[in-house]
Formats: sequence, structure tokens, C-alpha cells
Amino acid sequence: MANLAIVGQSVYRTDANPKVTGRALHVGNIEMPGMLHVAVLRSPYPHARIRHIDKSRAEALAGVAVVLTGAEIAKMPAVDAHFGPAFRDQPILAVEKVCYAGDPVVAVAAVDKRLAEDALQLVEVDYEPLPAVFDVLEAVTPESALVHEQHRPAKAFADLAHVQAGRQSNICYHFKLRTGDVERAFAEADRVFEDTFSSPAAQHVPMEPHVTLVYLDEHERLNVWTASQSPSYVRTELSATFGIPMNRIRVRVPYLGGGYGAKLYAKLEPLVTILALITKKPVRYALTREEEFLTITKHKVVTRIQTAIKDGTVTARKCEVYWDTGAYAEIGPRIGHKSGYTSAGPYRIPNVCIDSYCVYTNRVPAGAFRGFGVPQVIWAYDSQTDMIARAIGADPVEFRLKPALDEGEPFATGTIVRSFGIKEAIREAAQAIEWSKPRAAPSGTKSRGKGIAAGVKAVLTPSISGAIVILNADGTANVLSSTVEMGQGSETTMGQIVAEELGISLEQVHIVQPDTDATPYDTITAGSRSTYHMGNAARSAAAKIKAELCEVVAARLEVAADDLVAGKGRIFVRGMEERGMTVGEIFLAKFGSLGTTLAAEAVCQPAASHMDPETGQSEKCTEYWFPSATAAEVEVDTETGQVKVLQLVSVGDTGTSINPRHCEQQLLGAALTHLGLTLFEEMVFDEGQLVNGSLLDYQIASFKDMPESVRPIVVQVPHEDGPFGAKGAGETGALTVAPAIANAIEDAVGVRICDLPITAEKILRALTDKEGTAVSIGSTTS
Amino acid sequence: MTIRSFDLLQPRSLAEAITLLVQHGEDARAIGGGTTLIILMKQRALQYRYLVDLQSIPGLNQISKEPEGVRIGALATHRSVELSPVIREALPVVAEAFSRVGNVRVRQTASVGGNLAHADYRLDPPPALLILGAEISAMGPNGARKIPLKDFFRGMYETALEPGELLVDVKIPSMPAKSKAVYLRYSAMSANDWPCLGVAAMVTRENGRCKELRLALGGVAATPVLVNGLTFVKDQLLDEDVMQQILAVVDEQISPFSDLRGSEWYKRQMTQVFIRRAIAQLDSQLIEG
Repeated sequence: MANLAIVGQSVYRTDANPKVTGRALHVGNIEMPGMLHVAVLRSPYPHARIRHIDKSRAEALAGVAVVLTGAEIAKMPAVDAHFGPAFRDQPILAVEKVCYAGDPVVAVAAVDKRLAEDALQLVEVDYEPLPAVFDVLEAVTPESALVHEQHRPAKAFADLAHVQAGRQSNICYHFKLRTGDVERAFAEADRVFEDTFSSPAAQHVPMEPHVTLVYLDEHERLNVWTASQSPSYVRTELSATFGIPMNRIRVRVPYLGGGYGAKLYAKLEPLVTILALITKKPVRYALTREEEFLTITKHKVVTRIQTAIKDGTVTARKCEVYWDTGAYAEIGPRIGHKSGYTSAGPYRIPNVCIDSYCVYTNRVPAGAFRGFGVPQVIWAYDSQTDMIARAIGADPVEFRLKPALDEGEPFATGTIVRSFGIKEAIREAAQAIEWSKPRAAPSGTKSRGKGIAAGVKAVLTPSISGAIVILNADGTANVLSSTVEMGQGSETTMGQIVAEELGISLEQVHIVQPDTDATPYDTITAGSRSTYHMGNAARSAAAKIKAELCEVVAARLEVAADDLVAGKGRIFVRGMEERGMTVGEIFLAKFGSLGTTLAAEAVCQPAASHMDPETGQSEKCTEYWFPSATAAEVEVDTETGQVKVLQLVSVGDTGTSINPRHCEQQLLGAALTHLGLTLFEEMVFDEGQLVNGSLLDYQIASFKDMPESVRPIVVQVPHEDGPFGAKGAGETGALTVAPAIANAIEDAVGVRICDLPITAEKILRALTDKEGTAVSIGSTTS
Repeated sequence: MTIRSFDLLQPRSLAEAITLLVQHGEDARAIGGGTTLIILMKQRALQYRYLVDLQSIPGLNQISKEPEGVRIGALATHRSVELSPVIREALPVVAEAFSRVGNVRVRQTASVGGNLAHADYRLDPPPALLILGAEISAMGPNGARKIPLKDFFRGMYETALEPGELLVDVKIPSMPAKSKAVYLRYSAMSANDWPCLGVAAMVTRENGRCKELRLALGGVAATPVLVNGLTFVKDQLLDEDVMQQILAVVDEQISPFSDLRGSEWYKRQMTQVFIRRAIAQLDSQLIEG
């Protein structure tokens, strides 16, 4: 890009040094005098009525400050006992009944954690088990047990304003999309493909489990330190739940130890707040890893997908997507909506019918997970796309390229796509893996194959980011932003954007960490939205300051403001660096003093147009898109079914890169997370009880599981409204990993796995079924 | 999670430790490296008022070469076995099996005695020790006794140790002449995960034929399994016919159950695959050697 000083440079992270030297502040490191620690008793039953709780022995234990039940919270005036971003369906502590095994029932705050846990062992709860439902397809039947008797919409987010109070059903949200004449296209089809795909619940496993510290300050204001991706929302939610004015709540988020969607919306904050309000002491609740598994998961999804083929092209697609959102809706309805409308793929398909259902079950609640549900729908549509290509004898790459949408064409929602580098991404992926070269011959028990997958995610729209930039007289700047630095590099990215706009160096920009007393509203740090939204807000605020500076310089030097540029800490005439002024000189000219600051605020608030509730059609359903492609080469051991990923190439259209290395790291980080999710990660439940809820039994991909070669490829299709053309990169690498590997496995050994994770056993079983007999075990490698 | 408060008792001798264990009965438990016990206590799945710290007894962590084998003290760590020059030279399969447990931080702490006394069905060391004919020395309120390792594992997390009895050391005989041993561990999911199963095999050759075959398996029954009834291989070539007979014998003696690492069907399949691979590997080594 022309004439940019720091945008587009792969500068090192500003947060790297404090993190690797162990000096970065995290909530878990904050100690306060007299601080109490929390332990929570959780339900052993997936669905049960609470008949009686006896907590007297726990309350009698010395050092225990409070033992709290949901029934007590429900009786508190002016406190809403329930919270949640889409429905206010989640109790702070279970009221009357529990809805999943792991549901918080009784909380203890005590002088230390051991004492709090000792006290829990003295609490006796009498439960009456209720019929429960654990399967998402069973939950939608009329005979199913009901998880909730009534639905209460929350109205916290503009994009969820249409969520409605439901009937007596476990379906809490139903998204519909209808375009063209689907029935006719199926009737006229040469071939119809119908398949069902599933992907399981999984856990985010952030290095830092959830932790929240709440205290009342000297003005009795509520102070909240929390490991959250959404400080602004936490303040709104606490204000709504406790009826406390917003300016009497201060939410701060220091460096986050990873989020991946687990730390969105409210989690521990309502409970810790109520304990702090009761005890008038600082209270901290830090989840154990085992509790983390019982707090939030990736949605289990079952997708039925039917595709009509006429003359070798896809003419119609029908998708039924069932989102198992667990015991509480959490953000499930938004996921069912935003991911639901993309579930036919980034293709020119004239006839599309989508039904996306968000469904309650008696399992651990499901919420956002890097990719926001889109990896689950791409798992279905891209796997099937590959199966169809192979079945009709088409080249899988060409079969995707031909109908892939071009700039200016309508998506299934009717929205015209722009900055949509899906074809570029597919081509790059195919080239990187040498798709057209003949495959290696099998060697002993090892067979190799290659796979390509493609898909697209849309950014959450509408949403809002506000930023304030404060310029100091020495030319340094402070940026007030509620974007949470959680390892994604936002601090560096925002620094680069503001430094570029003001013509100063990265070292001269300080990003103030989220603090609702000072930093303006931001919807969430999630969904690959911060670079675009907060980046635009910060850039606009900086531009306002630059305009003020230019005005002064223009008057002083008697030049047109339009002829002035910012660079090297000065404002000068374009092409004549010596004709200009430093920030200090400008401040003296403007204020007659250096003891002042210049501040400006800006808000980035992309709008969406109305989406028809019956057809899902919208002139603009999203502000921008994330095209993704993954190429994989695998080696399958046909005796064991074990897959070794030899090459993994992650390709993403991120718009113009503010920091190319960051974009590459984001692509790879997301892709490698999804490597584990593809091959072995699954939260296993038995009658609603989580079987593998610890890191002893639930493994994520480690260095030992890495492919022999991993490679990111950043495709840069600039977005006309993005800051310097940027979009976002946080989730793109996650989107297409699973189908790329499944497609490569079919390429290698001719079997198709439709249920994630693709374990060695599933492959061996499929190979065995294909052979019709036990796999020949005679062919050892010796 | 936190551990309920307990008293850490630090005896200076085995006799004192045994006395403490007898005195406190079910309120007390011996602790070696603690890598498993502490997790279970943190989860409050196990609770003890007293832990009897075996690390405070001098001399229990020795690894020593003896005329007819190697003796490993109960408190020797996995890491010290893995790195011991004595074991690497005399019994490389033992070093290999211990090197596969957990990660280096766990191995630096976990003790050999704790590993065996925990009697988890899928741990790596037991199969390797079983094919070598290891023997346990135990000491208890009724004195000292020897327990062949093949008689030591009685059930899932159950051993032959009596209340108050402690595992003191494990003696591993030297390998027979012209023999080779191997331990293959198979993790079906993440490379860091518990094994789906483990296979230890030892082949002794004489005049170009098999003199003896020993096989032991982890992960395919409630206890580690030392395969019986393999004497028919004596003086045979390990060809496909013999292999089929071996696999049939093994299949009868295992009783795998479905768990997170594989179904019963899969574990039976993998047992066959990895026994074949282990024997093939040994066969080629012996031919080369």
C-alpha cells in the first residue's frame, strides 16, 4: 500500500514482553485485603426439582461468610434471579430446579478456598429427579421432556430484538431462509444427495479459566475485575440484574489468558457480585479446570443437508440445522441465526431452504466458540460438496470454483457480496498443496490423500465500537478502547492504526485496557470484528485529532489543510517535510501551553437491513465476509485407522493486513485448534453426565500432534470501508479445517466420515465395513 | 480444587511407616511421588487424615545392578529409570516403557512403586516388567515377602498388598541370551493421551528358530495381562500359521472394555496389529543381530 509507515508492517507484539517475562497482570493475580473465596456446589442430576437444601452445618463453620441458595436470591427485591444475553433463562443459582449435571446450586464464600470447599461438603440437597432430554433430535419431538416451561427474551442486543417468547417447546429459536423454488428444483434434479453430519460439544480450554473479583469501593460502587471478552456487556447485565445505575459499576479487564468465545457475555459476574453485596467484602471466584468444562461448550450440531444436481451443477439445497444449546440458551439463538443463514455455502445456488433450530437439552450450556457455529455448518456443506464432486466425477476444486460467488453477486440471503475472495482462497489452497499432481502410491499400510475445503463466515451485524483517542503535548497518545487483548494482538493492531493516522511511532501509542469508567462501549471482543470496528473507531477518532492539528498548522503556515500530512511526529506539507510543526509547537500555538490534551471520540456502527423472518432475505445482512479455504494432505494407516496430517495450509481473506504476521498467526492458531477438534476432541456424556471433564481425559492438540508442515496464506482483498482496507482474521483459519481433513481421508482410503471427531476407530470401522470383512491384518510393514 | 487438611507423617524407616499405617488404618495412606493421589485428593474423591510420606525414608530410591538383574527401589522416579545407564544398557525396554508415562514433569516426580501399586490397567511400565519376570519385595506388619509381578495385579486399582504392607522394590531379572524385547504404545487420539493399549514382547532365538516368546499387554483388561500358553512357539519359525495361533491365544486372554480410547472391538483389533508389529520388529532385530 502506498505511503504507509507502520500499517502493513509485521511489527512485534507490544504485549509479548510482559507476557513472556510473567509480568502481565491477570485477574487471578489480584489479591485484596480480606478477600473471600468462592466454591460452588453443583447438581449431580441433569434435571431435578430441588426439594430441600440444608445448609445449617455449612453456615456454622468458622470462616464461612455466607452460604447462598437460588431460592434466597429469588426472594431478594430488585434482583433478577436470572440472566442471559438472548433469554434471561439462566439462574444465578438454581431456583426450584436444576437443568444440567453441573448446574450451580449453592455458593459459599469463605476466608479461603479450602474452607469454602469444606463447607460445601456439609450442605445437603434433596433432589427429585425429573425426566430429562440429552439428544437434540429427541428434544424437538413433542414427546420430549421440557427443559424450560417458559421462555423470557432478554432484549440486550439489537440483532436479537426479534427473538420471541416461545411456546411449550425446547426450540428456543427458529431461523428460516427461503429463496427460489426448492421443491421444483428437487423434482427436476438429475440426482439428489441427502446426508447427515454431526459435530460434538467441545470445550475452549483457555489457558486461564474464568475468574472474577468483585468489591465495593469507598463510595460503595461496584468494582469488577473479570476475565471477560465483553466488559461493556458485563456492566449492562449487572446493571439490569441488580438495578444498579451504570455509573456505579466499574468493570475492568486486564490481559486475558485466552477466550475463544468462552468468556463472552456474563458468566461468574452476577454470582460474585451478589456475594460481594451480601458480605461487603472483596470476593473472588476462580473456576477450576473441571468447572470450566461444566460452564460453557461449543455447540453440538446435527445437520441434515439435501442437494439437487442438474447437468452437473448444484440447483437447490435444503439444510436443517439443529443446535444443541444445552440447559440455557446463552448466545445460541444468535449463533443459530448468523451461522444458520450461511449454511448453504458461498455458492450460486438459485433455490435454497434453510431451517436452523436452537434447541434446549439437559446438557452443559453451549455458546460462542471461535467461528461462532460456522465451522459446524461448513463441516456439513463442504463435506457434502466434496462427496458430490467425487460421486459425479467432477474435480473437487473445479466443482467449488465454478459456482463460488463473485464480487457483486447475491448471497443466499439476497445480500450482494463484496470483498469476497473465496475463489482466490480456493485457488491458493489448491496450488499450495499441488492439488493437480498425481497422488503418491500407497506404501505398506500407509495411504496418502489430499483434500480442499472452502467456506465463508459473515461478521456480526449490527454491532458497535467506540474509541477515544487522547493526544498529549509531547506527541504521544492514549487510546481508550474496550477491546480486550486476549492474545489476538489487538493492542498492537490498534496501536499501528492510531500511529499511522497520527504520524507517530507505535511506541508513542498506549492502549488503555478496558475499564468501563473510561473506555467507551464495545459490543464484544469476538467474531473477528475488532480490527474492523474498533480499528475504524480508533482511526476516525485519531483522524479528528489530526484534522484539528492540521487546522492550526494550515493557519500558521498559510497552506491548505488538505495539503498537510502527518508523519514522524509532525504535521507538514506533503512532499516538503521541513515545512511543518511538531505536536508541541501546535499545542503551543493552539493553547499557549503544553499542559493540555486533545481528545476525540468516534463510533463505528455498521447497520444491517431488516431480515424477513419468513424468507431470511435482507438487502444487507452483514458488513463483511471471511472467505476461508484449507488444504490438507494426510497419511492414513489402514491397519489402525490413524491419521497423520502431513501438510495443513490455511488460507484466509483477511482484507488488507494491518500486521501480516499477526494475520498468519491467527490463521494458524485457529487451524491448529481445529486440528484437535477434527481428530479427537469431544465432550462425552453418559445420560447427561460429562465423562471426560478434565484435562486427564479431554486432550487438546499439542506440539506432538502438529502436522509435519503448516502454512498460512493471507489473501488480501481490501474492504472499501475497513481501516486501511482491513477486515478481520480471528476465526477464518478455524472455518474449513475439519472438512479439508475428511476430504483428504476419503482421497486417501476411500471412506467418508460424517461425524466429528474423525477418530482412528471410526476410520478403521469404515474401512472394515467397506471391505465387508475384517481388515486384512496380515500385511505388516516388515 | 483444594485438599482437605491432613497431617503429613514422616517416618524415618520402613518399620516406622508400617506402624503408622497399621495404627491409623483407613485414615492413612502412603504417599510416594503423589502424582495420582494428590489429584484424587484435590477432587476430594479420596480423603485421608494422614499421609505417610515414603520420601522421608532414606534409600528407597536406589537403582542397583545385581548379579542376576536390576533392583529398583519403590521411590525411584520414572525419570531416573528412564535415564539410568544401568537400565538403559541391561533392560532398554524398561527405560522405554517408563519414558512413555505422562510428561517429563510427571515422570520427574512419579515413583516406580506408586505406578505399580496404583494398578491402573493402562499404565506403560507393567507390561514391560511382566515379560521380564519382575518380582516385588513387600514389607508389612507380618514381615517381608516376595510377590511375582504376575500375581501382583488383582483387579482394577487392586493389588496383592495387604493393609499396612508397602512395596519396597522391584527386582527385574537379566534378559536371557539372544533375546530382544520391545514395548509399543498406541495412543489412538492425541499423542499425549493415555494409551489405547500397550504391547510388550520378548523373543528369544536359538538356531534360527524361536526359543521363547513372552507377551504382555496393558489397556485390554482390568489389569495388565501376561499372556500364558505361548510355549508352543518353541522351536518354531514365527510364520503366518504360528502368528495366527499366537493371536488366537491372546484374543482369549484379554477382556477389553469400551472406554474413551476405543471400543472393545477396536482394542481387540489393535491388540492384533500391535502384537504383529512388535514381533515383526523383534524378528528383524534378531536376524540382523
